[in-house]
Amino acid sequence: MTVLHVVFKVAGAEYVLPAADVLQMESFTGATPVPGAASHVAGLVQVRGRVIPVVDARARFGLPPVERSLDSRVVVAQLGPRVVGLLVDSAREVLKLDPQQLKPPPSLVVEGARGFVKAVAQVGPRLVMLIDFPRVIGEETLDGDGQR
Amino acid sequence: MPAYLAEAEELLGTGHRQLLAMEVSIRRGVAHPRAVRELFRAVHTLKGLSAMVDVEPIVDIAHWMETCLRNADRAGGRLPESSVEPLMEGLREIEQRVRQLAAGKQASPVPAGLLARLEALEVAGAVGTGGGAKGGVATLALEETLASRLSPAEREQLTQGVTGARRAVRLDFIPGADRAASGVTINTVRERVAVLGETVKVLPLSGPAAGGGSLTFVLLLLTEASDAALLDAAGGPPASVRSLRVPAASAEVPVPVATLDAPVVEEEEPEESRRSGGLLRVEVTRLDEALERLAALVVNRSRLSRAVAALTAAGAPTRELNAILQENARQLRDMRTAILRLRMVRVSEVLERLPLLVRGLRRSTGKSVRLALEVGDAELDKAVADRLLPALVHLVRNAVDHALELPEARRSVGKPDEGVVRVATHGRAGGLLDLTVSDDGRGVDAQAVAARAGVPVPATPDALLELLCRPGFSTRDAATATSGRGMGMDIVRRIIVEQLGGELALETRPGAGTTFRLRVPLTITLLDALVFECAGLRYAVAVGSVEELIEVDAARMSRPAGAGGLCLLERRGSAVPLVSLARLLGQASAAESDAMGAKALLVRQRGELVAFGVDRLVGQQEVVLRPLEDPLVRVPGVVGATDLGDGQPTLVLDLAALGLARGGKPARREASAKAERYLS
Repeated sequence: MTVLHVVFKVAGAEYVLPAADVLQMESFTGATPVPGAASHVAGLVQVRGRVIPVVDARARFGLPPVERSLDSRVVVAQLGPRVVGLLVDSAREVLKLDPQQLKPPPSLVVEGARGFVKAVAQVGPRLVMLIDFPRVIGEETLDGDGQR
Repeated sequence: MPAYLAEAEELLGTGHRQLLAMEVSIRRGVAHPRAVRELFRAVHTLKGLSAMVDVEPIVDIAHWMETCLRNADRAGGRLPESSVEPLMEGLREIEQRVRQLAAGKQASPVPAGLLARLEALEVAGAVGTGGGAKGGVATLALEETLASRLSPAEREQLTQGVTGARRAVRLDFIPGADRAASGVTINTVRERVAVLGETVKVLPLSGPAAGGGSLTFVLLLLTEASDAALLDAAGGPPASVRSLRVPAASAEVPVPVATLDAPVVEEEEPEESRRSGGLLRVEVTRLDEALERLAALVVNRSRLSRAVAALTAAGAPTRELNAILQENARQLRDMRTAILRLRMVRVSEVLERLPLLVRGLRRSTGKSVRLALEVGDAELDKAVADRLLPALVHLVRNAVDHALELPEARRSVGKPDEGVVRVATHGRAGGLLDLTVSDDGRGVDAQAVAARAGVPVPATPDALLELLCRPGFSTRDAATATSGRGMGMDIVRRIIVEQLGGELALETRPGAGTTFRLRVPLTITLLDALVFECAGLRYAVAVGSVEELIEVDAARMSRPAGAGGLCLLERRGSAVPLVSLARLLGQASAAESDAMGAKALLVRQRGELVAFGVDRLVGQQEVVLRPLEDPLVRVPGVVGATDLGDGQPTLVLDLAALGLARGGKPARREASAKAERYLS
């Protein structure tokens, strides 16, 4: 039983997300900044009529910003009722991964990556990292008091 | 007048619906007495209403339609096919006059020839009365006492049974104590018989009955069941079964027509009132007013909560107050939900116009089309529904115009002559309603579309939809056999995506058909907004929140020392603080940080006037407010986002909250964030 994963690149490193969590990939043409939002929030984009927040993966991973190119992609993912985009350097591949291939990351990586990396898989000569999406976009949850 | 217009509109809707239903029946060769009556009733009421407000042309048209329909009713709900068009024309003309009245104009006189055409129908109808059913004079073997108690519709129903596949029979059931003891009553008989066939009427007859009783129930049925089965259902003899078919010899004893001339039209009135009971027509503006009052309460509540927070900070015991506040917040939310629910209308009502549209298209295109509406009892906010309808009209029109093939073309590829256009809802989730508009036509030819647009063939359905949605794109005059669809798709997308904040997707299979998937929010919040530019970005604010728009005049501005970029602006003798919005938003570059903008929006912030400097005013427009639900972007001062048509979300700001949250001390941010949440 292999699971389809979407592969994307941030600062040369390869990350994956289960394809089941990914709604679509969009090219990035800029986001509307939201004043007062966390610094890793690139802003709002409109995807098929829906307004969604986009998290800048570089900012979130503490990497220096780069000029956005034609390769830049917004990986739109579903997280429970939330739909959030992740801005990455590029995303153009899907991979089938056997759950057996996914190994817990070395403890040094866990610390260094602030828990963003959930597992690591070796695919031929490549290493791909499975990200913890909820963690990457931020720990914020909807208000507990059931408003809205 | 508004009441008249609303009612007339509704009656016209009913009229169109019933006339279409009637047309379908006519094509199938069956009578549709119920539709005739409903239509009669609608026209009759229209006439009465129009007479009250003195709109003579409508009274005249309605009068002749009514006459024609009365004849049709007397003929057992049969209407000659040739009558449909003039009646349709009559409704159209009435509708046109109602629109004129709505626009504050005079209703134009009755168009030449229409009354004559309707009058001709009356004569035709009268002539046709005798020979209602096909295949000669319809008669029933029924005693006159019973026959006289049947409405023309029921008589027609039975007559059809006589001539059709089912038998029309009379089952006599005589109730008695012994039968009741064994559980056989008229109610159980009704139930059992209902399984065996269609009960047209149950007539109680008093008088000596077989078996010594004094009451007989005569059940008139249409059935395929055997006499034995029917007898058994009635508990066996003394019950009896008789066929209503007139033996050939006594065919010259028809049911006297004279006794059937009663004004049956009013008969079903109680049912009508029962159905409309519990419904209330309310003008949308009144609902808006209620919502506005509620909004005022919500604002007041946030003031109250700030006051309580201040008390708490001062060390006062506010536990109970806080508990009350929380309860209050919950109540306000429930209230808001309740009021929003009041604005919901059934999707089925919204789509009432589509059958009429398809009928027109059937005539104009020569295509054979069936419209299948499968919308259940889904509901939408009135404002959404009003915007959605034109999009659906476009899609249905496109489906018939472009997608469906002509009958012979369909036949040649093995499809049935009649094409199907289906409009369906597919449940709702998370405040969204899913709809599809699909057809079984030729499908979109991506190559033809691409060739027409002069671009490479799109690889995905989304890319194809993108092409179809190019403004002005049409495949109408491309070779008909290969044409795709596209007429006005840009309008459809603008409505669904930009105006409603919904989604639009396309699925198409060559030769098999096309499905458009629409996803729209159940409710939208419309906002009258001022749109302006600031540091290269556009923003919107609610018009109601802005007290005044002023020009920023450097000569009337002074910069107090140590105010951290805050300026004072002289306005009618008082000093108003002027804040650079660009700076507040963190959008100003160092070089610009001294610039205050050319215009300023005056907003009351905690009772005090504050001017927010912006670069340029874009204008005032109604925008659809989309709340920002995700915690990542739920920040004070930002009420939501809107789409101004550039595909990029535009922030809708609450300047007062923004000023408090970002201009003041960081500590204020929390309180204001809370207030913000309650507001939304």
